[in-house]
Amino acid sequence: MRILRQIRYKPAKVVGGYADRILRVDLDTKEITIQELPPDFKSKYIGGRGYALKIIWDGTTRQTRYDSPDNILVMASGPLGNEPAFPGTGKFIVGTISPLTDTFIDSNIGGHFGPLLKRAGFDALAVSGISKEDVVILIDGDAQTITIAAAPAYDDETNDGALSFGERLLKDVNGGEYSDSLAAVTVGKGASNARFGVVNSLFFDVRRKRIRSKQAGRGGTGTVMRYKGLRGIVVRSSLSKVNGNNAIDKEGVRQAGSRLKAVVSRCDPQQLHMATWGTTGLSEYMDKFHIFPINNYQYGHSPQSPNLFGNVFLEKYFSRKIPDGCYYGCNLACAKGAENVELTRGPKVGKVVNIDGPEYETVGAVSSMGIFDPHFVMEYNWYCDEYGIDTISTGVTISFFMECCQRGFLSADDIGYELTFGNIQAVDRLLHEIASGKGFGKIVGQGVARGKKWVAQKYASRNGTSEDAVMAELNKFGMEVKGLEFSMYITKESLAQQGGYGFALKGPQHDEAWLIFIDQVHKELPTLEHKANALKWFPLIRTWFNATGLCKLPWIDVRNPEAASTAEPAKNLPTLAYYVSYLNATTGSNKSLQDVLDDSERLYILQKLINLRHRKGSRASDQIPWRAIGPAYFNEYEARAEYYDEWLQQQLGDNKLPASPEQRHKLLMEKRIEAYQQLCDIVYEKKGFTSEGIPKRETVEKFGLMDEQAKQLLSQLGI
Amino acid sequence: MSKQMVASIRFLGMQRVIANTDGIDMPITGNTKVNDILEYVRRQYPALQLEEGMVLVTVNLEAASLDRILRDKDTISFLPLIAGG
Repeated sequence: MRILRQIRYKPAKVVGGYADRILRVDLDTKEITIQELPPDFKSKYIGGRGYALKIIWDGTTRQTRYDSPDNILVMASGPLGNEPAFPGTGKFIVGTISPLTDTFIDSNIGGHFGPLLKRAGFDALAVSGISKEDVVILIDGDAQTITIAAAPAYDDETNDGALSFGERLLKDVNGGEYSDSLAAVTVGKGASNARFGVVNSLFFDVRRKRIRSKQAGRGGTGTVMRYKGLRGIVVRSSLSKVNGNNAIDKEGVRQAGSRLKAVVSRCDPQQLHMATWGTTGLSEYMDKFHIFPINNYQYGHSPQSPNLFGNVFLEKYFSRKIPDGCYYGCNLACAKGAENVELTRGPKVGKVVNIDGPEYETVGAVSSMGIFDPHFVMEYNWYCDEYGIDTISTGVTISFFMECCQRGFLSADDIGYELTFGNIQAVDRLLHEIASGKGFGKIVGQGVARGKKWVAQKYASRNGTSEDAVMAELNKFGMEVKGLEFSMYITKESLAQQGGYGFALKGPQHDEAWLIFIDQVHKELPTLEHKANALKWFPLIRTWFNATGLCKLPWIDVRNPEAASTAEPAKNLPTLAYYVSYLNATTGSNKSLQDVLDDSERLYILQKLINLRHRKGSRASDQIPWRAIGPAYFNEYEARAEYYDEWLQQQLGDNKLPASPEQRHKLLMEKRIEAYQQLCDIVYEKKGFTSEGIPKRETVEKFGLMDEQAKQLLSQLGI
Repeated sequence: MSKQMVASIRFLGMQRVIANTDGIDMPITGNTKVNDILEYVRRQYPALQLEEGMVLVTVNLEAASLDRILRDKDTISFLPLIAGG
């Protein structure tokens, strides 16, 4: 590899989960600097998402867009993300200004990259600038060098693939052999052509003896990386994984980890069986409760859904029934994979590949396109990973355009071929067009928000109607908020989760709140007050996981039986106590759960400020599509008329239901929309915001965030 | 002569794989409670390991208490406590 810049450095020793250093790389100037962090930085911003937020807040402006040279791509682990004695560590965050939302996005990702970056002596990596030629960054804690090198030129097939390129790169920098002392992040050609490019995290799985991958899927972080001319980053450290955080109280870490591992071992085999079939098992439950996002979230249930249930993937594809943690020590081990799957479609037809996944989200994305073929799920999974595009945004955007065809906004002439729900041939063609930026794929690669504008312009000019009128109709079923496509859950029957998606600062991704079951099935949130409290509490605790380098699943998807006797079982507080113990043992702190929530709230408010700076932070930005609120169209109402009529009757009390189904549908939607606005009011109050969703001055001051930029911003907003 | 009342027990997810059936029907009386069904399933399918606190019992897709009296054609399921990853 042709070296463009190289420095020597002495890796910092990790103490109590922190190296207290950020590695900064400017791809314009090829400057490499190591920033020493003051002691109060970690206490205020924790790590992971918190570090990314602070770096973006300080280093970018209102004018910064995803392709601006001053945009920064941050990769940050956290103080707890490097410890095999505790389940679900190893996560890191990729944060930047998004090409989809034009504001801060972060996406968490598993694998070995975060822990290795920490052992190489850095809490975070921040990349700014744009390189004129494609480059790779090599962070070598063993050789004590940091290098910017020209990206190696392989054959076209390898160069285009995020997986292929990463596999080759990892081998080349290690004398032709894979090793678990190295990990990489890479992007593929899809990230050049679509706004929803992903960052792939590649690591060597010693059990499967192959390179495996996880993805930072949401919001186009890979598109930013690719635009910067950065093809890949490799990190190496041979330091021991054991006690990687160099905890202050090692015995305390061991005890907390043992307790959580015992709960996971005992409960997962009686609950979701994640260790057996990963997250694919969720499809069945989602379908059962009308939450599976079939045909662009129109219908939640289908007789064809059993083709996509977990047992199908277990029997047909998950060939090796072995623990599959994406980092060492995790006994939930849900990162399933399949070997030797033959592709039957697309440009690589006949090729035999290894596939990591599918996750539930990918299965749901395929159902959103009306497809129920499990082999297509596997192929879609692999192609999206290889191209480096998000399976969720790809599926949701395609299904939006399918519905545009269904409702007459577009025709086959606009697209070049018939694009109907369930049409595998059309989706297969479109998938490769998106990745190549060719044909109709160029439009779809822009995502739903920009797709709506394109359709509105086209339809309005063709029919002599106003664009606003068309847009109002598209807003009913274009499944995006703030520019980000929805993740794969129907929220029509859960007002709490409507808020979970609408208020989510990054857009409708469920990592801030997933309240559907406790609202819709458990009935634990009967009033607006209950829902609002949940919509404050869950985003805060979930933010903390994204700041510390932890996976949420061992907490949220494995219910500790002791939680049943607590006042709010859904919070799973007995298990959260293990996490607080783990934090204190690692860092030497003496925090309570409330301290943890307060730390998170500081990050939450900072993210809100960034959103406001980028005009995505007010009440208007929290509005959700009709489809997320209820049956947007009559056909959806008809599909569950009895259910909806019963709901409406409950709202009307002694008053009679309207006579015609059309009138009942109209009234139902009016009631639902009204309820969402009431929810907005009460949630903003709980969070210390104005009725326009803007943090009050005292809220910002409470968390020590009132710097000059915040003062000016709030003044401009009239606060 | 009155018709025999029946409750339907549906096995979901891994329960369906372990029990090797989608579900079973069970005759009930006017006094049969959810807990009676749970005990019956525990006896018939010990491999399901339906320990207290591990699953949510639903009747007709809504959470139900163990002392709820069942009605004819009620559908019972034992759900994992899904909270969204």
